[in-house]
Amino acid sequence: MSSSADISRPKPARGNIASWFYVSPLVLVLVPFFVVPILVVLVASFLENDAYGGIVANFTLANYASVFTSALTWKLYLSTIKFAVMTWVLSLGIGFWIAYFLVFHVRNQLLAIGLFLLCTVPFWTSNIIRMISWIPLLGKNGLVNSALMATGVIDQPLEFLLFSDFAVVVAYAHQLTIFMIVPIFNAMSRIDKRTLEAARDAGASRLDIMRHIVVPLSRNGIALGSIFVLSIVMGDFFVVKVMSGGGSASVVSALFEDIAVLQYPPAAAAAVVLLLVVVVMIALILRTVDVRKELAR
Amino acid sequence: MNATQASIADLAKRTRRAAKYRDENRRPWTFWVLVALFAAYVLALYGPMLCIYVLSFQDLRGGLVFPMKGLSLHWFVDLFTQVRTGDVKGGFERSIILAILVTVLTVVGSFMAGLAFRRRFRGDGIVFYLMIGSLVAPGLVLGIGIGLLFQYFGLTASWYTSALGAQLSWTLPFGVLVMFAVMSRFDRAWEEAARDLGASRWQIIRMIVIPILAPGIVAVALFGFTLSYDEFSRTLQTSGPLNTLPLEIWSMTLNVTSPSLYALGTVTTLASFLIIGVCLGAIAVMQKRRSNQSGSQQ
Amino acid sequence: MTITTGDIELAGVYKHFGGMAAVDGVSLKIPDGAYCCFLGPSGCGKTTILRMIAGHEDPTGGEILIGGEDVAGLPPVQRRTAMMFQSYALFPHLSVRDNVAFPLRVRGQSRAERFKVADAMLEKVRLTELANRLPGQLSGGQQQRVALARAAITEPRVLLLDEPLSALDEQLRIQMRTELRRMQRELGITFVHVTHTQLEAIALADIVVVMEKGKIKQAGPAREVYAQPHDRYVAEFLGGQNVFSGKITHVNGSSVTVSAPDASAIVVPLMGRSVVRGGDHVDLAVRRDDIHLRRPGLTVEPGWNAISTRIRTIEYQGAFVKVMLDTIGEAEFVAYVPEREFFSDAFNVGDAVAAAWPAERSLLLS
Repeated sequence: MSSSADISRPKPARGNIASWFYVSPLVLVLVPFFVVPILVVLVASFLENDAYGGIVANFTLANYASVFTSALTWKLYLSTIKFAVMTWVLSLGIGFWIAYFLVFHVRNQLLAIGLFLLCTVPFWTSNIIRMISWIPLLGKNGLVNSALMATGVIDQPLEFLLFSDFAVVVAYAHQLTIFMIVPIFNAMSRIDKRTLEAARDAGASRLDIMRHIVVPLSRNGIALGSIFVLSIVMGDFFVVKVMSGGGSASVVSALFEDIAVLQYPPAAAAAVVLLLVVVVMIALILRTVDVRKELAR
Repeated sequence: MNATQASIADLAKRTRRAAKYRDENRRPWTFWVLVALFAAYVLALYGPMLCIYVLSFQDLRGGLVFPMKGLSLHWFVDLFTQVRTGDVKGGFERSIILAILVTVLTVVGSFMAGLAFRRRFRGDGIVFYLMIGSLVAPGLVLGIGIGLLFQYFGLTASWYTSALGAQLSWTLPFGVLVMFAVMSRFDRAWEEAARDLGASRWQIIRMIVIPILAPGIVAVALFGFTLSYDEFSRTLQTSGPLNTLPLEIWSMTLNVTSPSLYALGTVTTLASFLIIGVCLGAIAVMQKRRSNQSGSQQ
Repeated sequence: MTITTGDIELAGVYKHFGGMAAVDGVSLKIPDGAYCCFLGPSGCGKTTILRMIAGHEDPTGGEILIGGEDVAGLPPVQRRTAMMFQSYALFPHLSVRDNVAFPLRVRGQSRAERFKVADAMLEKVRLTELANRLPGQLSGGQQQRVALARAAITEPRVLLLDEPLSALDEQLRIQMRTELRRMQRELGITFVHVTHTQLEAIALADIVVVMEKGKIKQAGPAREVYAQPHDRYVAEFLGGQNVFSGKITHVNGSSVTVSAPDASAIVVPLMGRSVVRGGDHVDLAVRRDDIHLRRPGLTVEPGWNAISTRIRTIEYQGAFVKVMLDTIGEAEFVAYVPEREFFSDAFNVGDAVAAAWPAERSLLLS
């Protein structure tokens, strides 16, 4: 392998073949389990439904028409995007500071890794069970309410803690903050501590350092974390249903219901629209950072 | 105060401020705020879990919420003995096997892909964006697509084929991203030096690249296992007639309203703790043994 | 084909990156067992040449021969070369002994065998007590010796060093210089050493190769390159010379008279150089340590050149005093005055002086 770090050299054909060999497992998974399914969904969205839950091979735009004209669609998108943004704000707000704490305030590296692992352990309990556990915690007779009433802060249990928008966002943030912490942690630990020292020597306050050095240099981590958080919330269908007590739904949960009654083509159309929305969101984020350059240096 | 005195005073002030920052043992007040935040976060993370663990010891007469009416193992027994629709034990086995398969394939696949992406190659942009696409695509949508695909070809979906593929489409991009981060810290000079000293391509990978990247590979394995074990939305449509554990639990939550569900949660957590603990322990033992033998390499 | 000697020949070697020529037609012969230093600023192509000799880069054109054999396409191990990287590139997960024994391990030697050889090598570089340490626990100088031991254990015919001393502090650098020289003598093989520090190059090398922008400007023994630079670039890069330009006013058989701004009538010996005519613009050089400072008004010896000038700064350098004088046109004019000479009749900043030197010590540059 010729090993110049210079990338302006034209790649010999032999190098290309080697690279494709190495990337083949990834491609062998992505094509049948991502590319093709998406294409299948795309195709299905243009086909007709028959009354028995089957698909008839007639081209039609009716599915899309019903998606775009349905008031429900807009309502769902509004609701889902609302949750996505709120979750993003919360997870970023908490995740950024946790990552900052672990990188810059914890002196012992082993301790930092230990604390980091500590944050990942809860994810070894099943997602679904973790959601159910909110009931004894946030419910009317739950721990939080009991504690608050026992200390006399309130005298009626707080209803909004569970089966509400609040609960949905809390559940999302609980699940997804770790997805923010990891990339931001990674980006921050790349920052040369000597730049901070130099800034301090030059008289910068801690706020200055945060604004002018730490935040810009963690931009890529923030972007990556945002991509994770937003795409997971946009694609979720059960957290929102459970935590809102059925009060709210998301785009995908409506999709799920269509599937349940075997309405594949309309569901497919809705899925394609959702995919486009998510892709646009992600593309917008990717424009702010060069993720490829950051990661594959 | 004349100009000289003013500049001396200013210098003294800045020196004092600098001295305060350079004092290694003093912690600014923000440190304590962040510690409090971290503690609160960890508490919030563990809170729901702890509720489950505690409540699984709920007394026979107790319900799904606090207060605890007493302590008992009743619900554990109920979990294992009660005949019910659904196959928890089978689901559990399948989940573990699937998770192990996914972990191994993810480690190998993302390691190789990480190696590939270290230099530019024709089509690397396409592969990269496909990967990102697979990561952000809503799991349910992909599940539908894969389900329809299998239906069209007359193949039966099952947990070890279609679900495996669906989970890999989620864990592989993740693993590759982790590999990117890990490999970018890898100094090419080590490889060049090894080549210079006569090592073949395979020897370089075996003796230099893998050992140095080992922590990252372990991280990918951990990610892969966790993501697979808990995977729900992509697996929902693709696991075929037999359920994985999350799917079993899902159907249970729709039907069962007793603390035996919590008992299930406690048991499954213990199981994953055990497995991960054993693996990490094995790795730690291997590391220790390797560093104990002075100058040991096979 | 086995390579048994370490003489290197570069014949018309080119290396292009994108549209740019990093190495632009280099031809050179390095005899076996010589210590050769490539000297030049960053980007001049010296590291690229080193990597091409090593086999880590392929030349775009030209030939490279080691031991008389054309090595095109051969991997490093078959060229009997070994490279010492600028960052040392010690394997962080292996102990010092494992690092040094690595080349033997990849050749399939058993653990006992290769540890024996590695320990002997560690003995030679005096690192035996550190054999079990990890590279992260070593100082810069120690790391370098490990890198050297690791490279030398393969018994190469040519050792290639990429700025080996740049990462070290001043004192250690001087110490390691002698170490390198000693090792080269002991091993008896060709060393090719790349550096941008001229003092290092002239201290170590049998052959100094001065490079600029991918081309060799001058190659020869250190004394020759320092004292008889071929052109302005070499003279300026090696330091130690005052270089300025002027116009020829007289041609006089074996010497010419040059007139420079602020300085008229400088006599320079011709020395069989190119044909020059009155009116030509030329560059000339005078060694800084050839310049003597005289009080103005004193008569100048016959056969000496003298320029009236003024002292700008005085810098004490221990064995000599560096006196910077008013520039000649745009060129710096510096005198290195032996310490005792200077302080026997010390000058001050701002003093008017006559800077004088024997005419035959001036050098006409092409």
